[in-house]
Amino acid sequence: MPAANVASQVRASLANLKASDLEDAQIMEVLKLANQLTDTMKLFFSSLDQSICNEFNYIADYISRTRDEISALRPNDITAERIPSAGQELEAMIGDTERATEAIMTEAESLLCDDEQDFDKYRANVEARMMAIIEACSFQDLAGQRVSKVVTSLRHVESRVSRFAEVMGVHDTGNAQAETDEEKRAREQLLNGPAIGGPETSQDDIDAMFD
Amino acid sequence: MAVEMTMPILVVDDYKTMIRIIRNLLKQIGFENVDDAADGQEAYEKMKENKFGLVISDWNMEPMTGYELLQKVRGDDDLKGTPFIMVTAESKTENVVAAKRAGVNNYIVKPFNAGTLKAKMSAVLGDF
Repeated sequence: MPAANVASQVRASLANLKASDLEDAQIMEVLKLANQLTDTMKLFFSSLDQSICNEFNYIADYISRTRDEISALRPNDITAERIPSAGQELEAMIGDTERATEAIMTEAESLLCDDEQDFDKYRANVEARMMAIIEACSFQDLAGQRVSKVVTSLRHVESRVSRFAEVMGVHDTGNAQAETDEEKRAREQLLNGPAIGGPETSQDDIDAMFD
Repeated sequence: MAVEMTMPILVVDDYKTMIRIIRNLLKQIGFENVDDAADGQEAYEKMKENKFGLVISDWNMEPMTGYELLQKVRGDDDLKGTPFIMVTAESKTENVVAAKRAGVNNYIVKPFNAGTLKAKMSAVLGDF
């Protein structure tokens, strides 16, 4: 039962008692105190009810806003379309580069093995193989386009996640996530991978460490 | 002592293309007796079966990295004297220092060319 209703019922009971012509001074004093108490309780419970109501309204608004933001994030689009598509592009790019490298190396190795005795034949072979190498280099155009698509997808995800974090007031916690087995192995085995923009330590500096 | 040009060399890399590139470079500088392995574990097994005059190994491979292979080889009484050159894209100073501490004979950072490979092989094996 809501607090306001309880207070009303108590007040009604007190009014009945007063109306029953009681003359005992002590009882009248108790009734007076009880009346004051119910007035105080009424004020207290009404303010409590209002603050709880406000709190629930705020939570409901927050949930609604969160749901809207999650919809705007389009998580299904990201997980079902964008990320798989980016993965496919990268896999296709690896395939393109492998095939191109295979073609280029095969032509180059054939050139190294060519018989140089017959000059005209050798020259024709060199020209044909050079053309094949040039053709194989067209993979770079495809690779560039595929990388651009992946970069576009990553930027899309980044902007949506950033907006979501901003609107929802999400901040990174100070606690770092637990290290996975894969990360632990990479750390222990010093698997840093290639540096961006060329080697972090030059060959000359490495050589100096072995002199 | 002159370098035996027919000595067997083991190239360890998980990328077939890189193995092919190193094979071609070795061939260009006169070494044709080349075997290969796709990771440290396969390389170690081959080394236990056959004696190699030189190991040229990548670092980043699974299930056994080149760094683990180096440590295992240096800890094996039968293999610890095998010359070992690391050829890798791992170019942080901590990697070079760790490899040197583990007993690597030389370190080549990718990308590299035939001249660099020959120079490092000469530094390890002697002039050829």
